Amino acid sequence: MAEITLVEAVTQALAYEMQADPSVIVMGEDVGKNGGVFRATVGLLDQFGPTRVLDTPLAESMIGGLAVGMAVSGLKPVAEFQFMGFIYPAVDQIINHASRIRNRTRGRMSCPVVFRTPSGAGIHAPEHHSESTEALFAHIPGLRVVIPSSPARAYGLLLAAIRDPDPVIFLEPSRLYRYAKQEVKNDGKALPLDTCFTLRVGEDVTLITWGAMVKETLAAAHQLSEEGINAEVIDVATIKPLDMETIFASVEKTGRCIVIHEAPLSCGVGAEIVAQIAQKALFSLKAPPERITGFDTIVPYAKLEKYYIPSEKRIIDAVHRLMEFA
Amino acid sequence: MKIFHLPDLGEGLAEAEIREWYVKVGDEVKVDQPLASMETAKAVVDVPSPYAGKIAELHGKVNDIIKTGAPLVTFDTGEGIVDKGSVVGKLETSEKKWDEGEVIIGSAKASSGNVKAMPAARVLAKQMNVDLSLVTPTGPQGLITPDDVKKFISQQAPTVSLPGETEALHGIRRVMAQAMAQSHLDIVPVTIVDDADITDLPPGTDVTVRILKAMVAAARAEPALNAWFDGKKLERKLWEEVNIGMAVDAPEGLLVPVIKQVEKRSDEELRQLIDKYKKSASDRSIAPADMQGATLMLSNFGTIIGRYATPILLPPMVAILGCGRSRETVMPRQGQMVIGRLLPLSLTVDHRAVTGGEAARFLRAVIQHLQGK
Repeated sequence: MAEITLVEAVTQALAYEMQADPSVIVMGEDVGKNGGVFRATVGLLDQFGPTRVLDTPLAESMIGGLAVGMAVSGLKPVAEFQFMGFIYPAVDQIINHASRIRNRTRGRMSCPVVFRTPSGAGIHAPEHHSESTEALFAHIPGLRVVIPSSPARAYGLLLAAIRDPDPVIFLEPSRLYRYAKQEVKNDGKALPLDTCFTLRVGEDVTLITWGAMVKETLAAAHQLSEEGINAEVIDVATIKPLDMETIFASVEKTGRCIVIHEAPLSCGVGAEIVAQIAQKALFSLKAPPERITGFDTIVPYAKLEKYYIPSEKRIIDAVHRLMEFA
Repeated sequence: MKIFHLPDLGEGLAEAEIREWYVKVGDEVKVDQPLASMETAKAVVDVPSPYAGKIAELHGKVNDIIKTGAPLVTFDTGEGIVDKGSVVGKLETSEKKWDEGEVIIGSAKASSGNVKAMPAARVLAKQMNVDLSLVTPTGPQGLITPDDVKKFISQQAPTVSLPGETEALHGIRRVMAQAMAQSHLDIVPVTIVDDADITDLPPGTDVTVRILKAMVAAARAEPALNAWFDGKKLERKLWEEVNIGMAVDAPEGLLVPVIKQVEKRSDEELRQLIDKYKKSASDRSIAPADMQGATLMLSNFGTIIGRYATPILLPPMVAILGCGRSRETVMPRQGQMVIGRLLPLSLTVDHRAVTGGEAARFLRAVIQHLQGK
């Protein structure tokens, strides 16, 4: 069992599924010869040849349309967009077609496509390489939005996403791509979609997060444990549909919750989670729910990036505020 | 490492068969050195090396068919792969371990000690310092409502209900009830007791008057007790004159007429005042002005019965002397048993304003004066 990074786990999952299922196609800009902008598809062209690994033109709208066409024709395309900020030309194909094929055909057809893209800030890149616009896609009926936060979950959730018969937006946190290594068994075992992962068990406060913010949140939880505050950390993993049962169970236990996401505050996925908690778990709350998020601004350039990404301190300060409520 | 992929050996040929390898793994080769003899559908051709370096791997055996574009030979070019891993930004591979411990898929499913309560009930419970886990819920699905919290609070503060017809307190009895309750809440009382040996007082001595004089002497010895105290502002005022309030037992309740400037009055004057106040107190003719301005207090309960007591202070005063009933008793004197007379004294002070030492010295001064020393 090898210790691999998150981006290597993506490659490993793609290679496994391409081997296991000849209908899986990898496509995107520079994914073949170059191995992808972050090297997520490195070696796949050599292993599976140019009919399975397609270097596309620089035309995201075409990537989206081609993938939808392949998917409704019996293939399982995994299309890569180089950065989240480059996905927008393909949004017409994704929203108007991929998400609606099942409904449009009254269930006769589905659209088993995975749209992969790196997301989030923290790698000192220009702004359209740094955004976290998962809420745009979470808002669309018919789309599933999945964000892994570790090599193991990148592997297991990508396999699940490829095997799922419906379209999945698979957002890979780029600043975690090579952050650390983890042993990931290449056994082809998928992890469940639409399910949260409880990364840390605690009784005092529930920290709800996903993607790259799992890193700061776990660090904050560790810091808090040294002062006797035990935080439960939930990696939501599938942003749409939400596994609210796991979140409710935790909030009912702790009575306090903070949603932490890198995306801007307004109309973020945190708003949806807090609204559902307010409706279904209000009477278990000891304190008002909080959201610790990025700001309602464009992600700044490299020098200010670290002020944009929610810090460990902001999370800890919020927990202290909530702990003042008995 | 560099991988050499099989180039198109003719015009759009899809594959070629390996006839012979000219090199083996580990060989050092130069650019354009022939690597293999390959047979296509059209011809047998030698494939030259595009790189210089050591052969790391041959991707096929003799008679294997290699597709155009598939790996043929891997070279160790000695350069290693230098790959930033991204064309944009900075993203270096860390050797850090991803240490997550045990990850639970879904919920931790721990049982909850948390109660369900309406937000208003939580706020109320916090304000009233109520532990919600002790409150009995009556709302839907075991929900604690604000009314549940209120009910809990009312059950915690037991109320006395008197049977039958009751009599409402009024007038001075009502004032006494309030003043004593307030005194009990505010004051930090400490009581010290001792006896004065009054065996040698001449027969016919007016003990009450003598006690008043003794209190004046004691107030001179320890001015801290002849004082008023403000517990909120933490201020005190020491009085020069000694105005002694005397607790008088009246049918309606406790009255406290004040004998002003005791230090300036003769024994006869004092006796007259005492008698006057007792009478005016019992027939309620006493003027309000005669019940104000006390700086020290005397409770002469011994005229009825009782030896020691813990007299209650009336703020803003800080000291009250209680006199019990004097008694004959056998006591040692110069090695002999004699029959003498003792006057039991109880002094209560407000310990916020008066030290234990001041209280004890005050009582000593009272006793010494009574004993004629």
